[in-house]
Amino acid sequence: MAAKPSTTTTAKATYSPIDPTRKTRPPIFSGSDVDWLRPDSRGFHQCRPAFFRTGAVNSASGSAYAEFGNTKVIVSVFGPRESKKAMMYSNIGRLNCNVSYTTFATPIRGQGSDHKDFSSMLHKALEGAIILETFPKTTVDVFALVLESGGSIRFLVKQVDELDTLWFAVGDLPVVISCASVALADAGIMMYDLVASVSVSCLGKNLLIDPVLEEESYQDGSLMIACMPSRYEVTQLTVTGEWSTPHFNEAMQLCLDASAKLGKIMRSCLKEAASDEQE
Amino acid sequence: MVGLSEGEQEFIKGGIAQDLRSDGRKRYTYRPIYVETGVIPQANGSARVRMGSTDVIASVKAELGRPSAMQPDKGKVAIFVDCSPTAEPTFEGRGGEELSAELSSALQHCLLGGKSGAGAGIDLSSLVVVEGKVCWDLYIDGLVISSDGNLLDALGAAIKAALSNTGIPSVHVAAEAASDEQPEVDISDEEFLQFDTSGVPVITTLTKVGKHYIVDATLEEESQMSSAVSISINRQGHICGMIKRGGVGLDPSVILDMISVANFVSRQLMDKLDSEIAAADADEDES
Repeated sequence: MAAKPSTTTTAKATYSPIDPTRKTRPPIFSGSDVDWLRPDSRGFHQCRPAFFRTGAVNSASGSAYAEFGNTKVIVSVFGPRESKKAMMYSNIGRLNCNVSYTTFATPIRGQGSDHKDFSSMLHKALEGAIILETFPKTTVDVFALVLESGGSIRFLVKQVDELDTLWFAVGDLPVVISCASVALADAGIMMYDLVASVSVSCLGKNLLIDPVLEEESYQDGSLMIACMPSRYEVTQLTVTGEWSTPHFNEAMQLCLDASAKLGKIMRSCLKEAASDEQE
Repeated sequence: MVGLSEGEQEFIKGGIAQDLRSDGRKRYTYRPIYVETGVIPQANGSARVRMGSTDVIASVKAELGRPSAMQPDKGKVAIFVDCSPTAEPTFEGRGGEELSAELSSALQHCLLGGKSGAGAGIDLSSLVVVEGKVCWDLYIDGLVISSDGNLLDALGAAIKAALSNTGIPSVHVAAEAASDEQPEVDISDEEFLQFDTSGVPVITTLTKVGKHYIVDATLEEESQMSSAVSISINRQGHICGMIKRGGVGLDPSVILDMISVANFVSRQLMDKLDSEIAAADADEDES
């Protein structure tokens, strides 16, 4: 987590997708519980460096670009615009979310191009934070595009059948959620608070924060939390795998602490953008 | 869609605050559950679960397939949910699609466990016939016949009942084939293997209305919810999955409180369900 603020200042460094000096990959899983390295040699409780920038798309009401390690996401927000005629009258606003992958986001071209599951999760994570009463009868569109997916294990499976897609990767979703809330703020949509999202993987007894997909494919359980850091409220959470209650407590606390820090980074990005405009 | 007048809304909310709901239940009481097993002869296992006027059917079909390259020692399970327009006219055409997708993804989260198989209700390695070559693919299909709230819990219960009713034919593998060929298999139509379903978790959805949460909400109560959390818990009291169903944000301490309530409620539900399943199996054997 400590590495994050420094990377926001050295924006250029985060643009090199893969460290060219590191040719050999450290072992992913050594079998024993304690001594194994993470593929990107982070600590267990260390997030990937995060980088946010607003104003990525000119024609949108608001947009943001986010980069967490290798995961690169662009989100644009359109509206509020008039809801479609076919829709029933609603005295609160509607939120329409869509998450898609570019054809080149994954090592095998064109996998997971449209993600219904992610779209509905993004919707649920954001709807609790947006003050929908402020734009009745209208719709706000949130379109997220994953330019590069972090890690790849799932997509190495050549033989694609419908059962394989079951094990969806959650790794990109926290980035999409956090980036979308920055884009909404950039669009001037009223929100109670920014939504910061962090996931944790459980491997044996260890908790790994912000897992890449390689780690996710070995995990025993995962937990993803989207929360509003200043209000200290959880807007979305998903848990899979087997958790005892104390272990779950620990993981949730870890996530909440990390998202508080992530929230600060998002806030500073918005402040920076606002002060640039004034100058 | 539920159209309720303001008076009716207040009545529901007020009742929940006083621990007396409009159908006379307390906050943590389920509607009576009825389980019928073996309702679909074509499937390997099936069950119908009724809770009040919520009525769902789950069927399990097993087909021989190839294990995925990633996990040669494991079978595959897929869960799909279909919302029939007989339940509600809005489910017609593509109308039920969103709800179906939400329910099937929630069930996958809650029942299939982590990627390594921890916390999974179904032991995937028991589905393998020949490692890397032949395995059973389980297709679990849920069908919503009539919807009066709490669909996820009902579907979870129906899947548990259907799995306990499932017989997987035993398979005899013919003599060792060349390493790159598919071995020949002979499916027995007399011998069946039963699943051990004691590890399958039950799903409890806690719906927050006002300051309190209720279990087994009806459609009318669901329309008044501020948020809902579905928690799946197994026999050991471990959390096997959890998903929040939208709505407003929740304080982390509320979530922890919900977990302890769900732990308490799910134990009762599981006992009730197990005895209902046993009774339903006995009924089926008699007839």
